[in-house]
Amino acid sequence: MKEKLKRLFDYRELLFNLIHKEVKVKYKNSFLGFVWSLITPLMMLVVFYVAFGIIFKLRAMGMQFYAFFLMSGILPWNFMATSLLLSVGSVVNSSDLVKKVYFPREVLPLSHLGSSSFHFILQELMLIVFLLAFRVPLTPWIFMVPVVMLLEVTFIAGLSMFLSALNVFYRDVQHFTEIIIMAWFWMTPVIYPIALIRDNFPAWAQRIYMLNPMAHIILLWQRITYNSPHNGTEAALLSVPGLLGTIALSITLLVLGYVTFTRLEGRFAEFI
Amino acid sequence: MVAREIGIRQSSKIPAIELESVSKCFRLYHDANYSLKEKVINFRKRGYDLFWALKGVDLTIFQGETLGIIGPNGSGKSTLLRMMTRIMSPNEGQIRTHGTIAALLELGAGFHPDLTGRENIYLNASILGFKRREIEGIIDEIVAFSELGPFIENQVKNYSSGMYVRLGFSIAINLNPDILLIDEVLAVGDESFQGKCLDRIARMQQEGKTIVLVTHDSDIAASVCDRVLWLEKGEEKMIGDPIEVTELYHEAMRMRPEGSEFGTRDIVINRVDILNSKGEAETEFETGEPLVLRINYSADDPVEDPVFGFGFYNQMGFMVYGTNTRLRGLDIAKVDGQGKMDFKISALPMLDGRYYISVAAHTRDGMVNYHWLDKLYYFDMHSPGKEEGFLTMECDIDLAPQ
Repeated sequence: MKEKLKRLFDYRELLFNLIHKEVKVKYKNSFLGFVWSLITPLMMLVVFYVAFGIIFKLRAMGMQFYAFFLMSGILPWNFMATSLLLSVGSVVNSSDLVKKVYFPREVLPLSHLGSSSFHFILQELMLIVFLLAFRVPLTPWIFMVPVVMLLEVTFIAGLSMFLSALNVFYRDVQHFTEIIIMAWFWMTPVIYPIALIRDNFPAWAQRIYMLNPMAHIILLWQRITYNSPHNGTEAALLSVPGLLGTIALSITLLVLGYVTFTRLEGRFAEFI
Repeated sequence: MVAREIGIRQSSKIPAIELESVSKCFRLYHDANYSLKEKVINFRKRGYDLFWALKGVDLTIFQGETLGIIGPNGSGKSTLLRMMTRIMSPNEGQIRTHGTIAALLELGAGFHPDLTGRENIYLNASILGFKRREIEGIIDEIVAFSELGPFIENQVKNYSSGMYVRLGFSIAINLNPDILLIDEVLAVGDESFQGKCLDRIARMQQEGKTIVLVTHDSDIAASVCDRVLWLEKGEEKMIGDPIEVTELYHEAMRMRPEGSEFGTRDIVINRVDILNSKGEAETEFETGEPLVLRINYSADDPVEDPVFGFGFYNQMGFMVYGTNTRLRGLDIAKVDGQGKMDFKISALPMLDGRYYISVAAHTRDGMVNYHWLDKLYYFDMHSPGKEEGFLTMECDIDLAPQ
C-alpha cells in the first residue's frame, strides 16, 4: 500500500495534467469558454428565483431568500453527483489507455473529481459574490468552506474509486449509480428545508434519515454558506456524534475504495 | 522497410529486464458475462475457457541489448510486451525491470482530439511517466522530429493519420527512456520517416539503451537486433543469432500451407491470376520471362480513392519487389462493383526460388486495409544456372580488356 501511494505520488503530474485536460476540454470550442462555469450558477439562481419566488409564491411564506437556500445545497450536491457519474465510467471509457499504457489507474477517477472540484470552487465563489451583491450577511462560519470541501472530496474520492473499479467487471454499476443518485437526491435536504423532516416525522424516522452522510454534508454547506433563517439555529439536526460519524465514514470509504481499486487494477487491462 | 546495417555493440551483462518462468492465462468467455444478472443466473457454471498465452517463459534482456521478438499471430508476443510494461501482471512467475521504460504499443494512445499537438505532448509524456521539467528540455526536439511544423499548434483531431503517428513516435523516442518497448508500430508512416526512426533507434543502441522490438518484419529483426526470440504458442521456440532464428522461422512458416488475409472488405479481392506471356495461368517462370498479375476485385458500395498494390517476397519473407498505384502516381477516383486490374512485369529478374505474392487494396494513407491477401499466392522461378544470388543483371565479361 505504501508502495502504491508512492507510485501515485510519482505520477502526480499526470493527475494534474489530466485535470487540466478535463477543464480545458470542457470549454474548448465554446465562445464564452470558462465563463460558462460562472453563468451556469447565475442562471440557476434566476430560474429558482422565478420558479419559487414568483410562480410558487414561496416568498409569501417567509422564505425570502429561497433561491440562495437552494443554491447553497444544490451546488455541493451537483458536485457530488457529477463527479461520481463521471468517474464511475472513467476507467472503462479510457480503455484505450488502460490497455496500452502503464500508469496508476486511480488517476482516472481522481482526475474527474479534480476537474469537478475546480468548477465547484468557482461556483461557490460566485455564490458568495451573489450573497454579497444582494446584501445577504455571510455566516460567521464561512471560513469553514475549505474544511467542508475536504470532507466532501474525501467522501467522493473513496466512493468513486470503489465504483469505477467495480464498473470494469460489472457494467451495471454505472446504471445503478445513476438511479441511486436520483433517489438519493430526494433523501437529502437539498431542495426542501430540513425543518420539513424535523416537523413532520417521528424521532426514529429522523434518526434513520440522518444516517445518510450526504445529509450531513449538505446541511453543513447550507449552514456555512447561507443559513436560512427559516431553518433556525437548532433546526439543522446536525449533531457532533453525527458529524464525527460522517467524517469517520468518509475516511473509511476512502481507504476501502483505494484498497479495492488497487487490488483490482491488475486485471483491468484484460477485462476492458 | 529499409534494412540497415548497424554496427556491433557491446551489450553488458547487467540485466535490464528479467523474466522468471512467466506464465499468463486468459479467461476466454463464451459470451461476455458483463452484467450482474448473467453472473447471478450462471452462478455455478463456469462460462469461460482458460487460455495460456504464455507458458513458463524465462528470459533475461541485458542493458544495451536489442531484442527482437517474432512469432505467428497469437504466439504471445504482445502479451509478453504488455507484461514488461506492467499493463498486465503474470499469473505465475516474476518480472523485474531496471530503469525507466517507454512503450510504443500504439502510437498516440491517449491523445486527446480537442487538444493541440503541443498540449498533447505534455499530456502524453506524463502518461508515460515523465515530468514536465523533463519535457520542457526536449519539446523543441520532439516538435522538430515530428516534422509537424506550425501544425503543432492545431488540434489533434484535424491531423492526418500520418501526422498522428509521427507525433506519437516523436514523443516516445525523444523521451529517451532506458528501455524502449516497440510493438510493430514501425510499419506505419512513410519510408523517409521510417528511415528516420531506424536512425534514431540506432542512436539509442549506441547510447547503450535497451530495446525490445516485436515485429513481423524479419528484415528489421535480422538487421536491427542483437538477439531474436521466436515465440510459438506462448513458449520459447528458439532464441539467439538474428539471422539464424529468422531463417529457421521462415523455414517453419513456409511449411504452413495457409497465408493470411484481413481487412475491412469494403473492397474484396476475389481472385488473383498469375499469367504468363500467353495470358494463361502459370506458376513456373523462367528468369527474364514476363508476368502479369491480374487482380479481380469487387466493391458492394462505392469506395473513393483506393490504392491497389502487390509485393513479391522470397522464402525468408523479405520483400523483393513491390509497388502500388499511389507510388506510381495513378489516381483511382472511385471503384464500384466488379473490376480488374493488371500489373504487367515485362521481365522477371529473380533467380531460382519460390516467391510469395501479397496483394492489397487500402486507403491512400495506408491506415485502413480494405483487403490484404498476405502471401496467399506463389510462383517458382527457374534460371539457366549461369548466375548466383537473387537477381539477374546485365553483366558482360571481357577476358581481355583494353
